[in-house]
Amino acid sequence: MGFSEPKEAKVEEEQLVKDLQAGKTESFERLATLFQKKIYALSFNLTRNAMDSEDVTQEVLLTLFKKIHTFQGKSAFSSWVYRITLNATYMKLRSRKKDQNISIEELLPSFNGSGFQQEKIQDWSENTESLLFDNETRETIQKAVDLLPEKEKIVFLLRDVEGLSTEKVGEVLELTVPAVKSRLHRARLFLRKKLANYFEEYKVRKETK
Amino acid sequence: MICCKECLELLHDYLEGDLQPEVSTSLEEHFEDCPPCIAFVNTYKSTTHLCKTTLNSTEIPDIVKERLKEFVDKNKNA
Repeated sequence: MGFSEPKEAKVEEEQLVKDLQAGKTESFERLATLFQKKIYALSFNLTRNAMDSEDVTQEVLLTLFKKIHTFQGKSAFSSWVYRITLNATYMKLRSRKKDQNISIEELLPSFNGSGFQQEKIQDWSENTESLLFDNETRETIQKAVDLLPEKEKIVFLLRDVEGLSTEKVGEVLELTVPAVKSRLHRARLFLRKKLANYFEEYKVRKETK
Repeated sequence: MICCKECLELLHDYLEGDLQPEVSTSLEEHFEDCPPCIAFVNTYKSTTHLCKTTLNSTEIPDIVKERLKEFVDKNKNA
């Protein structure tokens, strides 16, 4: 459906776009149904604010409807929708920007002179699945993502959360494939470190109970 | 012998299968003797999975869906 693009979905999407461009307004409803969840979810994951995300979703849908004739088919339709969604979301965020001052560098792995890891690395990867239903865990994850610097965050959301291919993320953000990869890797390293702090502390808490 | 730093720098490409086979092999050889790196790789993978699962569960609330539907209907006929 929509963004995940199996073939039939893509054919339907192209037809809907053509129909809407030809003035068949019924296809607007179907396009809205196909895309609204993706628009809302991406916006929500960036703003963490339900009202903002609803506003953004409305704005984006309206833009699709009113500006459909400006879509020239040079990129995938979904890439166009993502770009409009990001622009609308960033406009919202700009009006309420808080300073985050977290440096991604501080959370990247550290090495000694011979290139060995300096920290003690614990393996908390097992048994975390069951913690997904725990509100505290979910909040920790959301907060960690919120703290990512903007450039890394958007690559992470599109690639890992929305599941777009590396190439498609490059198309949406107008970045080269190596740039997408490097930002994604930095985002994952940052998040890993944030979650490591949490899960290691969680384990200690449980053991001392 | 390749060091932890190099391994972790190549981790993204390694997991995507984008590395030359001989480079992949040298990472795997390093991992065999390096429990901290294995722990790192496991937690790197689970981080992606945990974040994806958590953030993917964002749904549009029903009330918002209704309002969006009204909005679409109104504009469609405008």
